Amino acid sequence: MATLERRSAHRDSRVREALAGLDWWLLGAALVASGFGVYVVRAATESDIPSDPGFFFTRQLAFTLVGLLCLVLVMRLDLDRISRYAWTIYAILIASVGVVLVLGSSARGSTRWIELGPARLQPSELGKVALAFVLAVVVVERLPAMEPGRLSLMVAGLTAIPAAIVFLQPDLGTSLVYMAIALAVLWVAGQPITHFALFITIVVVLATLVLYLLPAAGVNVLRPYQVDRLTSFVDSGSDRSQAGYQLEQSKTAIGSGGAFGKGPGGATQTINDFLPEHHTDFVFAVVAEMFGFLGAGLLIGIYLLIIWRAVGIMRIAATQLERLMAAGLAAMLAFEVFVNIGMNVGIMPITGIPLPFMSYGGSHTLTNLVAVGILLRIGQRGRSVIGTH
Amino acid sequence: MASFGALAILLLVVLLVRLWFLQVIGGPGYQERADANRLRTIVTEAPRGAITDRFGAPLVTSREVLNVVAQPQDLTGPEGHRTLVHLARSLGHPPGYFVAKVDKARKATPFEAVVLEEDASPALQAYVEERRAQLPGIGLEAAYTREYPNGTTAAHLLGYVGPIPVEHLRAFRDLGYRGNETVGRAGIEAEYESYLRGIAGRQQVEVNASGEIVGRGIISQTQPRPGQTLRLSIELPVQKALEKALAEEVAASGTSTGGAGVALDPRTGAVLAMASVPTYSPDVFESGTPREVRRVLTSPARPLLDRAIAGEYPAASTFKAITAAAALATGLYKPGEGINSPGSLVFYKTRFHGFNNEDHGVLTMPEALEVSSDTFFYTMGDRTYRTRGWPLQDWARKFGLGRATGIDVAEGESAGLVPDLAYKRRTCDRAVDPINCSWRPGDSINMSIGQGNVLVTPLQMAVAYAAIANGGKVVTPTLGRAVVDADGRVLRDLVSARATRSLGLPQKDLDVIRSGLLRAANGNGGTSTPVFGALPARFRVAGKTGTAENPSKIDHAWYVGYAPANDPKIVVAVVIERGGQGANAAAPAVCRTMAAALGFSAGRCGTGAKVN
Repeated sequence: MATLERRSAHRDSRVREALAGLDWWLLGAALVASGFGVYVVRAATESDIPSDPGFFFTRQLAFTLVGLLCLVLVMRLDLDRISRYAWTIYAILIASVGVVLVLGSSARGSTRWIELGPARLQPSELGKVALAFVLAVVVVERLPAMEPGRLSLMVAGLTAIPAAIVFLQPDLGTSLVYMAIALAVLWVAGQPITHFALFITIVVVLATLVLYLLPAAGVNVLRPYQVDRLTSFVDSGSDRSQAGYQLEQSKTAIGSGGAFGKGPGGATQTINDFLPEHHTDFVFAVVAEMFGFLGAGLLIGIYLLIIWRAVGIMRIAATQLERLMAAGLAAMLAFEVFVNIGMNVGIMPITGIPLPFMSYGGSHTLTNLVAVGILLRIGQRGRSVIGTH
Repeated sequence: MASFGALAILLLVVLLVRLWFLQVIGGPGYQERADANRLRTIVTEAPRGAITDRFGAPLVTSREVLNVVAQPQDLTGPEGHRTLVHLARSLGHPPGYFVAKVDKARKATPFEAVVLEEDASPALQAYVEERRAQLPGIGLEAAYTREYPNGTTAAHLLGYVGPIPVEHLRAFRDLGYRGNETVGRAGIEAEYESYLRGIAGRQQVEVNASGEIVGRGIISQTQPRPGQTLRLSIELPVQKALEKALAEEVAASGTSTGGAGVALDPRTGAVLAMASVPTYSPDVFESGTPREVRRVLTSPARPLLDRAIAGEYPAASTFKAITAAAALATGLYKPGEGINSPGSLVFYKTRFHGFNNEDHGVLTMPEALEVSSDTFFYTMGDRTYRTRGWPLQDWARKFGLGRATGIDVAEGESAGLVPDLAYKRRTCDRAVDPINCSWRPGDSINMSIGQGNVLVTPLQMAVAYAAIANGGKVVTPTLGRAVVDADGRVLRDLVSARATRSLGLPQKDLDVIRSGLLRAANGNGGTSTPVFGALPARFRVAGKTGTAENPSKIDHAWYVGYAPANDPKIVVAVVIERGGQGANAAAPAVCRTMAAALGFSAGRCGTGAKVN
């Protein structure tokens, strides 16, 4: 009896230790969003595969449970200790996205996955977290000594390599997320504002060239469907392309939801399959159709809470490395949320970025929950440091 | 770092604002679009009701056909345009032919099929069936088309059907029409649209993106309701006889541009036959080629004009019966009075000539009607001029002239004209001839023999003579007799509601006129005795010829009469445009129509030789 009590007391203290300084708001919001995501995926896909109505639901549930397990595991990670493996991690990142690119092109098609027995892994997804970590390590190590211009160039170069490979897969959305992460790390590191202005100028010039000027001159850098996807949001009314159709159906789904939604059973745009990709890229439109402005607004509120807590954690981070890492992850989540919802409501180009915690998909569900785990860990350490001072 | 969070919040607020615009402000519009995506209407056409003659013989029926149709919502954008152009080309139409049809329908009824080609031939059906894949949005749909078992018979009174004209779209919508139906556009088809219309059944179903019916399936449905059968008062054999007689007389005259006739039951006003020549094929608007339609619409012979109700002609000598009624009723002529009726008479220093200047000596009124003396009636006209009031006009109106009879093909009926002082003031040219702006003695004298601006329709004359025949009742002519169901049971009686009005002429005065009309068809000097004189006593006819002078220089031939004279069962009025003298062209047509109605041999009818 006594041993048992001692054991349980021991366990109690370990649990207390593990939960000390935990950001319950962030964890709660991530759990609510993930649970809601599983529910919406189920409601949206019930009629997609008549022989197996629960196909997407059971998988997304499994992804989420695995993701939550990973969330708990990464909370035990010591970022400082693994920072010495940064270059190894970077090499694995480059190698894995490179392998996908080569396999994809040898299969004469495009793919973003590596087959791992029964599961498929999309390395570019976990690559987001990896890249945030690598860039944070590089900046922390070089910041005191290196001239700011060279540092920015180095970060840009380190980002450009995986971004370019992922872009060629082709996965424009993920390569944009890499850039957003890099910008956030540099910004929080305090790099001069001129660097960002220069970067934005380059992006605008490149986009104009690639999307409008070069095609007009007969040089196609992007495939025509990609140009469609990027430009159709500008004028979708007259657009008969696939991208224009998707956007039109998405807006119809969202708009027809009205203030209070049509309920899971009445969301005809979704269940009758007019809205394409309703479990992945356009899952936000499903929420808006089923639950109206009220539901969609509440979901945005949850994202607001998550980003607000991520930024809060970044501010109390115990070390510069953790601060930059948190900045990268916060930027990743904020960028994905804004670009995805913006694409759903027709104010952003269609770039194939999934909605964190909501879109169906194993790798990115895992990635987002891992990111939350790392943020929770950083927050806990930040609090305990503050607490000891 | 604060700026980082602020930026994130700002961006999410942008999303919220955008969402507000899409969902709360734009919600209803997008709701409509979502419904347009998911809802499809399956239409089951219902046949339009048949129209039969008095005995149930079909005049118009509905036949099931397959139409080539297009679904507007499946034919959008450049692909839809290509499909329609391709189909139009392969069917030998101009490239934009179907595009225009679909675009027009898209505005009115975006979720319902548009008919591209009606009554597809077996070859066309096969063509469409085999090319389902190449022609998305194009299909075949069962529908009904009007069929006319008797060809052009009764074309004018039956009217025709067609799409709802744009200017009436709103009125039809208010009556529950969708807008793409085929409706009655003229004649009986238009008048009795509410009974004849078949109401298509509609099933609203929910479909998915592939067009398959899903979920709750049928959301709402209404059963198709076939139109009701309309029974007319027309007797098909009489109708055919009248049309045949008119066509023969028009052809025989060599100069005639057309003719018309009406046969009524004087006791009830039931129309037994009504026809107009030249005629047209009523299905020309449904299945005619554009060239055929254009010919019908623009031919100088005006085949669409229903001369029986819309043709206005000088009444000529047929008006003398009305002059007689006016003189008798006002006491200007006392029965038995003999009046000198020479070849011509001078009134107010003007000489008025009778027909052929024939001197008839002293005549009583029945004798004057028998020989159709003009000078006798000039005297009557002069007497009406000298008396107080306007007896000629008043009595013309009492007989129903100068206004529509109210027959149940309301649209297109002409009022004719009873000239009076107001008319002269309205139409005279003060600058050229100021005296002509008053009512002058010559006007009354001309009017007494039905010339000088008196204009009547054959139907009006039939109604007027029906009043003489039936003892003084002015009837409302009716074509519709009853609405019956599939088993012939009467659902609604259309005759009993029709108004009749008393003429107000004493029986003894009517008898004077009737004896005159009887003598005109049977007496030794009767103008139409050569035509009717040989008929058996029980079919004896009473009637009046007319020879209407008109601007064309060749006279219109008139005849209005009833039979049997002692118990009239039918009154017939016929006019043959530019047919010459009434006894020659019009009276034989009347006789042959009566033969069909009363059952005597048309061979007993004479061909006519006497004049006036």
